[in-house]
This record gives sequence, structure tokens and C-alpha cells, in this order.
Amino acid sequence: MGAVTDDEVIRKRLLIDGDGAGDDRRINVLLKSFIKWCHATGSPEEGFTQHQRMLGTLAQCEFSMGKTLLVYDMNLREMENYEKIYTDIEENITSAHDKISECKKEIQRAKRIRKNRQEYDALAKVIQQHPDRHETLKQLEALDKELQQLSHIKENVEDKLELRKKQFHVLLTTIQELQQTLENDEKSENDDNQESSMENGE
Amino acid sequence: MGPVEHLHMSVFSQSFSPCGRFLAAGNNYGEIAVFSLSSALSPDATDMSRKPILTFTAHEGPVFSLLSTDSHLLSAGNGEISAWTWAELIKRNTKAVWTRRPNYKSSLEIPEINAMTINPTENSLVIGGGDNNLHIMDLESGVFKSVLQGHTDYIHCLSVRERESEILSGGEDGAVRIWDCRTGQSVHCIEVYKYEDCARPQYGKWISCLTTDSDWMVLCGGGPYLSLWHLRSLSPTSIFPLSGCQRQATFYQDMILSVGEGQFVSHCLLGGEVKAQIPCTPHSLNTLALNLNSTENRVLTVGGSSHQIDVFANLSYRSFSLAF
Repeated sequence: MGAVTDDEVIRKRLLIDGDGAGDDRRINVLLKSFIKWCHATGSPEEGFTQHQRMLGTLAQCEFSMGKTLLVYDMNLREMENYEKIYTDIEENITSAHDKISECKKEIQRAKRIRKNRQEYDALAKVIQQHPDRHETLKQLEALDKELQQLSHIKENVEDKLELRKKQFHVLLTTIQELQQTLENDEKSENDDNQESSMENGE
Repeated sequence: MGPVEHLHMSVFSQSFSPCGRFLAAGNNYGEIAVFSLSSALSPDATDMSRKPILTFTAHEGPVFSLLSTDSHLLSAGNGEISAWTWAELIKRNTKAVWTRRPNYKSSLEIPEINAMTINPTENSLVIGGGDNNLHIMDLESGVFKSVLQGHTDYIHCLSVRERESEILSGGEDGAVRIWDCRTGQSVHCIEVYKYEDCARPQYGKWISCLTTDSDWMVLCGGGPYLSLWHLRSLSPTSIFPLSGCQRQATFYQDMILSVGEGQFVSHCLLGGEVKAQIPCTPHSLNTLALNLNSTENRVLTVGGSSHQIDVFANLSYRSFSLAF
């Protein structure tokens, strides 16, 4: 008892019930009435009523104590509940933060994809302006064929021309030779005639 | 710097620091201002935090181009290039580390430098300007390695394709030339004004801006419309119906952002449509920069014919303006 000083006791009592109304007063009144009842000089009925009154006060004190205990339990449970809610909210905050950073990454990815798509579109627009490769190839093939045909025809015509040239050449040389032969014949006939006339003249 | 000078100020170039916390901007008076982005973007920013932490005169002529390497800020003005270390600038020390000048043929007039870009594969700086040539300087030794000749008029814009190791340049002569880094020869020459769909003959044929993204290139002119080209086939794929001249464009995620004549930033989709035009303070914009070096200060800044530089924290609207 020496460890707990008077000051502490007084402080604690003042804190609990400083104003004198309530439980402390009830306990003091009970104590006083008990002592008065012990020294009672009145009738047994009065003593009995005093006794009942004291029991009632005691019951009131017990009731008040029980109530305080229940309130204390309730406060403890409320504290636990609040702690739980607090941790829940903390978790939610961190998960929301994570979601936000995920979404930010998503948006960056989406922006990159959009950029690629737009670059693709831009290039595609330019490419579309140029004609289709298959068509151009087909056109080239058709032109090739035409070219081949025409060169074929040209060859044929040239051959024919050569042939006719040669034929005409043969014809003309034959005519010339015939002419020559005829001239020679005429000349030889003339010579013969002249010779025979000269012979006749002598 | 009185109010009249502020009224006539134009911001020509911007560059973010390698840590992403500072922005350097160059104006037509030859000054460079360094702004602290982290303090301007913090929740308790005041008007004072939107003013530069440091303003100094870097060149005698306008600063047309600013570029940041891993540790240095390079600025081009009056035909010369100066370099400052970012660490010193943050400590408000404005002594230049070096100042160099490319070998110009004529010593009578000094051509201005319009564009600079870095070729990371060879660690060299490519400079294009008023003497119609591209000069290549090695960053480590500071020696001007080579001169690429081919343009017939001055060069407005430069870009580098790292994968194929090519340099693209666009100029006043309306030609976009693609140079191979190793041989130093012009591999292709695209005369944009000869393509009917892109050309706007009423504005001339000059190319004002050029930017590349692996296989694609966006260019715009004072002359031709802002158009998207496919580099492999050298053909224009989409033409954007933006009026006026666009002075700077950049690829960002799935869009093309472009600024130029007009009090707005245009967001265009690769398909050829203009998705949005976001209004901003300067009446005509010269430069656009995206801070990709930092995750918390990821902003877009635009500057133009005003002493204010607009900052967009979200691309859809203007957050606030920094002022010189």
C-alpha cells in the first residue's frame, strides 16, 4: 500500500466520479445506512424496511456495475471492428493504386497501338494510289504476247520479201541472159549474112 | 530590362537540364534565362518562383538555338557556340566553358546559326546556319571535323536519325537533304515544293521545321503544309490542314505537337486530322519543348513572341506562365 500514494488514489477517484453524484454517492449512502441500521433502536418493521432499502441499493449498485462491464465489452468489440474496417480500406487503397498504374500502362500500350495503326493507314493510303501488281503483270504479259506476235508477222513478211526478191532476181537474170543469147544469135546471124554476101560479092 | 524591352522580346529557343529540374530559354536580346521548374511546379509556388533564377547575356545577337548534353548547355548566337556547365549555371556562375566558331569561308559577314543537334553515335555536334553548310564538330576534342555542302540557301532546321546514322537538314531553298554521317554525302534530296499536295506556292518554298521519329518525318514550312512523310519510300502520307507557318513540331506518343503562327498548340493525329488546338499566351510561337528527362516535372513548354513562356502540365490546357 505504500507504493500507491494518496495522490494517486485521490486522482483516480476524482476521475471516476468527481462530482459526488452517482455510484460513489450510492455506496457511501449504503455504508452510512448500514451503520445506522446496525445501531438501529426503532421497531423491527422499521429495521426490516431499512434492510430492504439497503438490499435495493445494493442491487442498484450491482446493476450499475454490470452495465459498465457490458459497455466496456462493447467498446472493445467496436475497436476491433474499426481496426478491421481500417485494414480493409488500406487494402482497397493499395489495390486501387495498383489498378491505376495498370490502367496507365494499358493506356500507353493502346496509344502505341493506335500510333502503329495510323502509320499503317497512312502508308496504305499511299500504296493504294499505285496500281495493283497483278494487273500490271497481266498487262505486261499481254503486251509481251502482242510483241511476240508482231515480230513473228514481221519475220514472215521479211521472208516473203526475200523470196520474191530472189524470184524476181532469177526472172530478171533469165530475161537478161535470153536477151543476150538473142542478141548474140542476131549478131552471129548478121555476121553469117555479111560473110555470105561478101563471099557472093567476090 | 524595361517594360518596352519586355514588350518586344521573343523567345527563340529552350532547353531542359539533364536532371529535368531547370529550363533555359534564349531570347532575341542574346540573353539566356534559367528557370527552376521544380519550384514553379511545387504546390506552394508564388509569382517569384515563376521568374528566372538567373538571367545573363550570352551573345551579342539573338540566341536561336539551345541544346543540352549530359552536363553542358550549348547555345548558339552571333555565329558562335558557347558552352556552359549546368552545375555552374545552377550555382549562378555564368562563365562559359568554351566558345567556338566554325570555319566560315568569308570573314566579312558572320552567318547566324539557326539549328544545332547532337549525333549520339559519333558524339558530334551538327550545326546549320546562314552559310548554307552543315558543320560537324567533335564534342570531345572541339575540332570541326567536316563540312557538308549541298544546300543552296541557308539552313533552318536539323534532325538526326540515330538508327540509320543519317542527318536531315531543311533549308530556305525548299530542299530536305538526307546526309550519311560516315561518307558525308547527300544521300537523298527531297524538294518538297514540287509535290503538289504539300506545296503552298503563295508562301514560298522554304522549310521551317523538321523532326524525325525512326521511319517517319514531319516537316513544315513557311512554304509547304505541315506534312508527314515516310522516309523509306520518301513519299508524303498525310497533310495537316494547318494554316500559317509551323516553326517547331515534335512526335509525342501517338500524336504530333506543333507550334507556329497562331496563338495555340496544335495536336495532330498521324492520320492527318487536327485533334485539338490549345490556346496559349504568346501570339505567335517559336519554340516547343517537352521535358522527358524527369518524371515529376514532365511538362510541355512553349515560347514565342512574348516575354512569357507557357507551361502545360497536362497537355490539354495551360497551367501557368513563366516570365522573363
